[in-house]
Amino acid sequence: MKNRITDLRAERDWTQADLAQRISVSRQTIIAIEKGKFDPSLPVAFRIAKVFGLAIEEVFLDEQ
Amino acid sequence: MTGDYRESTKATIRLVLWTLAWTATLASAKFGPELLWGSRQPVASWAAVAVNLAIGVGWIVAFTRFLQRIDELQRKVMQEALAISLGAGWVGGFAYVVADAAGLITFDVNTAVLPALLGVVFVIAFAAGMIRYR
Repeated sequence: MKNRITDLRAERDWTQADLAQRISVSRQTIIAIEKGKFDPSLPVAFRIAKVFGLAIEEVFLDEQ
Repeated sequence: MTGDYRESTKATIRLVLWTLAWTATLASAKFGPELLWGSRQPVASWAAVAVNLAIGVGWIVAFTRFLQRIDELQRKVMQEALAISLGAGWVGGFAYVVADAAGLITFDVNTAVLPALLGVVFVIAFAAGMIRYR
């Protein structure tokens, strides 16, 4: 699944470690999600959207 | 540090301690009759095996809790590695049984080879998974 996490993080000047800490996952998880290698669970996807102050569909993009 | 990270770190430390305890009791059960109490002490040998089994149950519980507390990507990698290990043991084990029954195996294989082999397969599969999701 595509997502805008890299751009959203850059806008806020957050590192991958910063984001990982804010949503209680490992940095490796953030790296894998950003690269589209790993789709997060719904709770983690909601936490990511919440820390960016956006709706989930504004962060994760449906490719279908 | 987040609460989740602290919890997973605690679970990891507990798992390491249980692993060390299980390894120590396994070594005691294996080498005790020869080096510590002598082979004519079956009660001591049975006690060592019982302690090893009891610690083993604790290790299983610790491993289950560890899986529940780790990060979801780590859990996915761990589950894939466990599936590959189980599959390798299942497929390899039955292939050996069939080959042995057909008289194709001309040498005896130590039963300790199977768990050791599973351990090696698990470590390789886990490392491959960690690299894949980098």
